[in-house]
Amino acid sequence: MNPTPFHTDAQTVTLAIIAAVLPFAAFALNFLVFTKSKAAGWVSTTAILGSTILAATVFARVWNNHTIHMQTVWFTIGETKVQVGVLLNNLSVLLLGLVSAVALPVHVYGTAYMKDDENFSTYFRYLSFFCFSMLALVIVDSLITFYAFWELVGFSSYLLIGFWYHRDKAVAANKKAFIMNRIGDAGLLTAIIILFTQFGTFDIDALFGAGGLVAKSALANGLWSAGSGSIPAVWHYVAFGGIFLAVAAKSAQFPLHTWLPDAMEGPTSVSALIHAATMVASGVFLLGRVYPLFIGEELTILAVIGCFTAFMAATIALTQNDLKRILAYSTVSQLGYMVMAMGVGAYSSSLFHLATHAFFKCLLFLVAGIVIHEVKHIKDENNLDIDPQDIRLMGGLRKKLPVTFAVAVVGSLALIGLPLTSGYLSKDGILIQAFDWSEAQPGILKLIPAFALFTSWLTAFYVTRLVVKVFFGEFRLLHANPGIHVHASDGGFAYKIPLMVLALCCLFPLFSVNPLSYETSWLYEGLVAKHSEGGGSIYHLLIPALVNIISIVVMYAAYIIYVKRDTVPFPQTGLFYRISYHEWYIDRFYNRVIVKYTVAFSNLLFWVDRNVIDGFVHLLERIGRCIAKAAAWCDKYIVDGALWLIAKLVQEVGGFVRRFQGGKIQYYLYSMLLAVIAVFIFKLIWA
Amino acid sequence: MITLQDFMLVSAALFCIGLFIIVAKRNAIQILIGIELMLNAAILNLVAFGRYDRINNGGQMFALFAIVLAAATTAVALAIILNVYRRYKTIDADKINQLKD
Repeated sequence: MNPTPFHTDAQTVTLAIIAAVLPFAAFALNFLVFTKSKAAGWVSTTAILGSTILAATVFARVWNNHTIHMQTVWFTIGETKVQVGVLLNNLSVLLLGLVSAVALPVHVYGTAYMKDDENFSTYFRYLSFFCFSMLALVIVDSLITFYAFWELVGFSSYLLIGFWYHRDKAVAANKKAFIMNRIGDAGLLTAIIILFTQFGTFDIDALFGAGGLVAKSALANGLWSAGSGSIPAVWHYVAFGGIFLAVAAKSAQFPLHTWLPDAMEGPTSVSALIHAATMVASGVFLLGRVYPLFIGEELTILAVIGCFTAFMAATIALTQNDLKRILAYSTVSQLGYMVMAMGVGAYSSSLFHLATHAFFKCLLFLVAGIVIHEVKHIKDENNLDIDPQDIRLMGGLRKKLPVTFAVAVVGSLALIGLPLTSGYLSKDGILIQAFDWSEAQPGILKLIPAFALFTSWLTAFYVTRLVVKVFFGEFRLLHANPGIHVHASDGGFAYKIPLMVLALCCLFPLFSVNPLSYETSWLYEGLVAKHSEGGGSIYHLLIPALVNIISIVVMYAAYIIYVKRDTVPFPQTGLFYRISYHEWYIDRFYNRVIVKYTVAFSNLLFWVDRNVIDGFVHLLERIGRCIAKAAAWCDKYIVDGALWLIAKLVQEVGGFVRRFQGGKIQYYLYSMLLAVIAVFIFKLIWA
Repeated sequence: MITLQDFMLVSAALFCIGLFIIVAKRNAIQILIGIELMLNAAILNLVAFGRYDRINNGGQMFALFAIVLAAATTAVALAIILNVYRRYKTIDADKINQLKD
């Protein structure tokens, strides 16, 4: 144990908690005070600035130092104490710093980007709420609280995708995202329940820490045995399946990836922060947290799925025409890389790629935001009926938007993974380790790194296509509509500064002194300690050379193909084109096979509800009403009738008797006489 | 020889006549006469049955009491009739119906 004084640990934990809670304070303040004010933007930005500074402090204290874990009893059920607390290790402080560092430029950018929106304050309210959920997600130490914040990031993502709720597409997209994420949430919950059943604790450190419960448990003879007892091994696979579903839903892996491209209906700055840099990375973060759980076959499944997702998304990105959709599929593809890296054992490279990808993908989305903003501006000014996100209408914007163009090139090179950028370090790390891993794998699994390699060339192609179509050549919109007014500029400092900061973060010096070797990166070294990974093979020279030389060739080819405008360079009827353009028909497949029958089943249930359950309720109601009616009849005619009869009888007798009380003296005498006679007659009869 | 039966018949006749006068006549004085007749029928009965009590002469004695009482009640009744007349200016029994309630 490191002999650091205890109070420093407590201080660090407090700083981390404040870093997470500050955005929540901003959320509360915007929710209660600045409901209509433009000040909301600065409240949120100040909060995230505070979080960034605190996160940096925490990062400096914890990185490559000892793990800090503090917890307190939350509640007790029987013998089980549920703890809540903070776990700060290299992984969580990395994410803590990364999320706040990416969120800060996005906040600054958002104050300018959203300034004309009528729901400006609402936007920052949601954004702060997201930051709070995400920062808390990365520092919590218990699976229960992890699950809670996991849900909250999904929920704030839902709110922000549907931010422009008056658009039908945005509402459909946020519903889709929410439902797909629910599938993952159900998986995560299943996994948490199984882990608790097996180990009796929710504590992430106790479960997955060095020498933790998971490391001590073993799979043998069809049993999964932990210290206290054992359960059938199948539960291990179910838990893996649940975690896989959670990762697939949050990090948009096949088969649950289809929500992410649709999620681009949200504001672009939201796409940059949530759907490119941070939230979608939380699936990979979850893999990092529970990594010791997985065994050989499960890791292979991760590798296969990740590789397939990366390849599929890259092929789709080749033919899309919507600027944000291309970037969304690129995100899916890069997330596929990260999951594959986890699968092949490149734990630290995966998280390294997560960090570098966050910066350059966020940058590219902010660039896309500016481009879309400017094209939309031109559209509104000239009353054109166009889609401002369609790259077929763009071109030549490098002259109008010089700063945007420059940072876009930096971000693109990082995404492709050329030397001197951060993407080179992380992506080549993944590829090299994938090849190392495949050495020991049988048959078809050897293809995985090959596919990953091919995907990186596809990436080079579609990124070049994107940049060339947007920034090079002539402005096609102007070409098609001569005489329109074109005013476009990079915008003020609130646009430029975040872009430049992020662009600097896309270059190698932030991550490594040696621009050509990922193994010298401090980030890689900080995470690699726990998992020994092989090195020194031939691939370390071969792969970077192969990747980059062919990438440059591909980029040049793409440039040549697309810099010429107004021509369609490839036939648009082929099988491959249609598969790619229709996104592998996955949405259509889901609609036909799952959505249709789910809706039909729901309609059936609705019908059953309407006719059977409601019918039964109505029957009960009718029976009740009949009984009530019978009771009312009884009440009226039998109970009331009896009373009425008595009253009537008394009345009649009284009426009869009062006739004798006429007041005339002789009538009294008559009655007396009659009574006497009657007595006599009765006596005569009975005597 | 006058038998007990003859007394009884006379007495019954007297009673019935008195009763008839009471229920049939309207004048309060006449009703009072009817009452006297019925009373006398009763006294006659007492006297007639008095033959069976020759030692104590209970019947005779009781008849005397009854006659005295009858005189007293007649006086009281006449006083009532007088008062009724003062109040209602009539002694027609049909018109005096204040006994009710």
